[in-house]
Amino acid sequence: MSGDEVGSFLAHAIALEDEAAERYSDLADTMDTHNNGEVAALFRQMAEFSRRHADSVRERAVGVEVPERKPWELMWSEPEGPETAPVERTHYLMTPYHCLQLALHNERRGHAYYADQAAKAGDADVRRMAEEMAAEEAEHVRLLEEWVKTIPEPEPDWDQDLDPPTTGD
Amino acid sequence: MTAQPLTAKDYKSDTKPIWCPGCGDYSVLAAVTKALAELQLPKEKVAVVSGIGCSSRIPAYVAAYGFHGVHGRALAVASGVKLARPDLTVWAFGGDGDGLSIGGNHFLHSCRRNVDMTYVLMDNQVYGMTKGQASPTTEPDWCESKLTPKGPQVTPIRPLHLALACGANFVARGFSGDPNGLAKMIVEASKHPGFSFVQVLSPCVTFRAEQRNWKQLVHESEDAEEVASDVPEAMRRLAADDGFATGILYAGDRPVYQPMHPAVTELAAIERRFAS
Amino acid sequence: MAESVAVVLTGSGGAGVMTAGQMLLEAAAKAGYYGLMTRSSGPQIRGGEAAALVRLSTRPVAVHDDSFDLLVAFDWSNVGRFAPELPLSSDSLVLSDPAQGEMPQEIAAYGPRVAEMAFGKLAKTIKGGRPNMIGLGAVAKLIGLPLEPLLEVVTEALKRKGAEAQDASAAGIRAGAAAAAEIGGPATLDPAPEGGVERWNISGNEAAGLGAVRGGIRFVAAYPITPATEVLEWLAPNLADLGGVLVQAEDEIASINMCLGASFGGLPSLTATSGPGLALMLESFGLGIASETPIVVVDVMRGGPSTGIPTKSEQSDLNIAVYGMHGDAPHLVLAPNAIEDCVFTTQWAVHLAETLQAPAIVLSDQMMGQARAVVPRPADISFMSRRLVAEPCAEGEVYNRYALTASGVSPMAVPGTQGCMYTADGLEHTERGIPSSLAGDHLAQLDKRKAKLTDYDVGDHWADTEGEGSVAVLTWGSTTAPVREALARLRRDGKKIRLISVRLLTPVQPEKMAAALDGVDKLLVIEQSHEAQFFHFLRAYYDLPAEVEVFNRPGPLPIRPGEIVERLKPWMS
Repeated sequence: MSGDEVGSFLAHAIALEDEAAERYSDLADTMDTHNNGEVAALFRQMAEFSRRHADSVRERAVGVEVPERKPWELMWSEPEGPETAPVERTHYLMTPYHCLQLALHNERRGHAYYADQAAKAGDADVRRMAEEMAAEEAEHVRLLEEWVKTIPEPEPDWDQDLDPPTTGD
Repeated sequence: MTAQPLTAKDYKSDTKPIWCPGCGDYSVLAAVTKALAELQLPKEKVAVVSGIGCSSRIPAYVAAYGFHGVHGRALAVASGVKLARPDLTVWAFGGDGDGLSIGGNHFLHSCRRNVDMTYVLMDNQVYGMTKGQASPTTEPDWCESKLTPKGPQVTPIRPLHLALACGANFVARGFSGDPNGLAKMIVEASKHPGFSFVQVLSPCVTFRAEQRNWKQLVHESEDAEEVASDVPEAMRRLAADDGFATGILYAGDRPVYQPMHPAVTELAAIERRFAS
Repeated sequence: MAESVAVVLTGSGGAGVMTAGQMLLEAAAKAGYYGLMTRSSGPQIRGGEAAALVRLSTRPVAVHDDSFDLLVAFDWSNVGRFAPELPLSSDSLVLSDPAQGEMPQEIAAYGPRVAEMAFGKLAKTIKGGRPNMIGLGAVAKLIGLPLEPLLEVVTEALKRKGAEAQDASAAGIRAGAAAAAEIGGPATLDPAPEGGVERWNISGNEAAGLGAVRGGIRFVAAYPITPATEVLEWLAPNLADLGGVLVQAEDEIASINMCLGASFGGLPSLTATSGPGLALMLESFGLGIASETPIVVVDVMRGGPSTGIPTKSEQSDLNIAVYGMHGDAPHLVLAPNAIEDCVFTTQWAVHLAETLQAPAIVLSDQMMGQARAVVPRPADISFMSRRLVAEPCAEGEVYNRYALTASGVSPMAVPGTQGCMYTADGLEHTERGIPSSLAGDHLAQLDKRKAKLTDYDVGDHWADTEGEGSVAVLTWGSTTAPVREALARLRRDGKKIRLISVRLLTPVQPEKMAAALDGVDKLLVIEQSHEAQFFHFLRAYYDLPAEVEVFNRPGPLPIRPGEIVERLKPWMS
């Protein structure tokens, strides 16, 4: 049983970071397409962080049989993984401040997820890993909070666009 | 050497979407690539067909064969592809305007023709490409369009009712806010024989910004656990539908239309019948 | 004795004039003659007045003569309405049943010789006898067609109905022939030619269907429409036997889009329609042009605009076929100029469409489409080149679906080809197929799509050019048949005159036309359209001689050889 629980935990941990990285990377492309290079660069950085985290989880998983999980078999409390940035929270005029706030939102959810896993874990190894990862996520949250402080808050009318949308096909 | 299984990422093309950041269609695209990865279909054996509209841009973003046709005709093109090439997996995509307004007739007849393909209708209840006009699924009192300042004032089409009434063999509703669940739904739609219809609630953050809160409104259907296999039962369930219940509503077993068969004669024999 | 004899059978629904006409044509074919049959009918679905127009000859005939030799009226209901389509002369014989009342004024006005025969009464003397069989026997006797082939045809046709029906019909034919013995016939056919030329009994619509499958068409999606439906009726069972398919679509827009999908999938595809359907299809036809997806649309033209005259012929879809597309949209427009040429031209259209990855419109018309002829077997033509398809691409290799090539034709990847995934697009695009609104991409792709058509050498098939001299007739489509007959008459009188019948309308062929018109100083343009669409098309694209006249007339009255001779006489010194 405990082996299964470790495997399942790690499968989720890997998917959490992989999906987060994939989403950040997509958002970076989207921002590039919409000529928001500054935010695109930040999203790309976030994608890189997530990829590194995924790598480090994979290192921990060496020697453990990690089961294949289809995307819809992952047991998240929301439809997507806790660190996957919600698409609807993006905007073409979003600023670095929004970007970091979004990352912070994700890291906080990541922390909550691992804290919850630690509390629920029946397996000692899982509990230990979840606690470690929760601590890491807390560190990410702290770093992001520091980072956000260095970024000016956007003007209240940051999303105002005086031009109407263009028409397509 | 055994080939590595393809991942969702492998099914993304290197063309980047032009959709607005925040658009639900990004998540539909994510669901599509995840579904393809689950099915492990060779990229060259998949045809993605669409018409015109924001959502209809999707073929170029998928690493598969694609056909981006004219407005409203995706289902006709897709039917042609599948009838001529039964070996291909054919998925058609489009928006509510493309599929239910200009292409409405093809929707009716594709449901009843029951060609083995999957149709994903990305419904945002608005025309995005032409700057936000009412579509056939827009509420009668939506007043944001210059064309219909007092609202369209006409009854919206209910796509699932229509699909069921016209004989679609698989009818489901998904939500872009749950791309993983949607991926599973598309996999099942694709595997189900015949014409499979998936309505996807996919918010337009530019012209219908209020749809950002669809996440709060969407809920899993109470009957999601048990898919109806007969039409009256599915109709009964739809009677209580609030438009936001997700899940597979109906999966039937009507015969698939595939009229192509191997040749049984040569042209010369046919020509001889003209001889007098 | 006569080289050809023309017969009309008229009667209301139930009289069986069409069946009798077809039997007459088949019997003549069996006897070694050539022939042509067209039909004219009232608007009723059933029970309407109808006329079967049959011309039998010792040589192939593509058009009706200036007048008919024999009119057999089983009844006179509303036949007067057809009078302009049934020209008679004082040499003509009208045979009618006295029980059916007076000959209509419009027919009597031609001043024909009249004889009576009690078709109804005679039929009643035979158990299961029918008036149309009496009439058939009479016709055979009156024009000198032997009875044996007629009896064979009738026996074969009634095989399913059993011996009793076969015997009744045979008895009717014999009775009719006996009754006609006392009446002098209007003309007697010359003996049938000797020799074993294989002859076919085929309609223009069947011929278009055959040309399609000869060209490799294996997918057809279509919506029924008069007068194109018989193309589909012939194709449906035969495609199925050949491993292809005909799909009845929900409308013409679905039809052409299904064809685009099937062709994208690699299967040569075709649809057939008439003017109203073509109008619906054209937006998607443009998609075929932009996405370089070959398809063929056969338009069997009828009187227009709008619903117009569905059952009668006209050449008035030329403008929509050539100019109907929005945007700069080079495409192929072809026109068969005879019933048997519907085979070749449709096959050639498939070949050009596939070779050039360009949509094609084939303009047939009701006159050819619904006419049935006994003709020499159309020659087998095999074209060598086919669609240029892409080879699989290796990992990392880039496939450019719309690559700019010397010929303008780029290898087209058929789904299933590894590494060549692309999106066919109606949006303007780059060589790769990515949507683009850039001036450079637009110009490059416009140039490409144009050059692949204009730079292609179409050879001699672009037109039929016949004869010599400084006077020429320039025509197209079904009006070629009366022109050919008129010119044959003039040449028999020693006149020199040229015919140019244009088969490939677009891409235009200025050099070939200049060569064909070299030395011509008088030109008559002949066409069946009220607006002289062909003439204006010629004026737009070609240098014409100084002296040009146009003889144009809308449908439904066909242009007759005699009228053309009259028009040309002043130019014939």
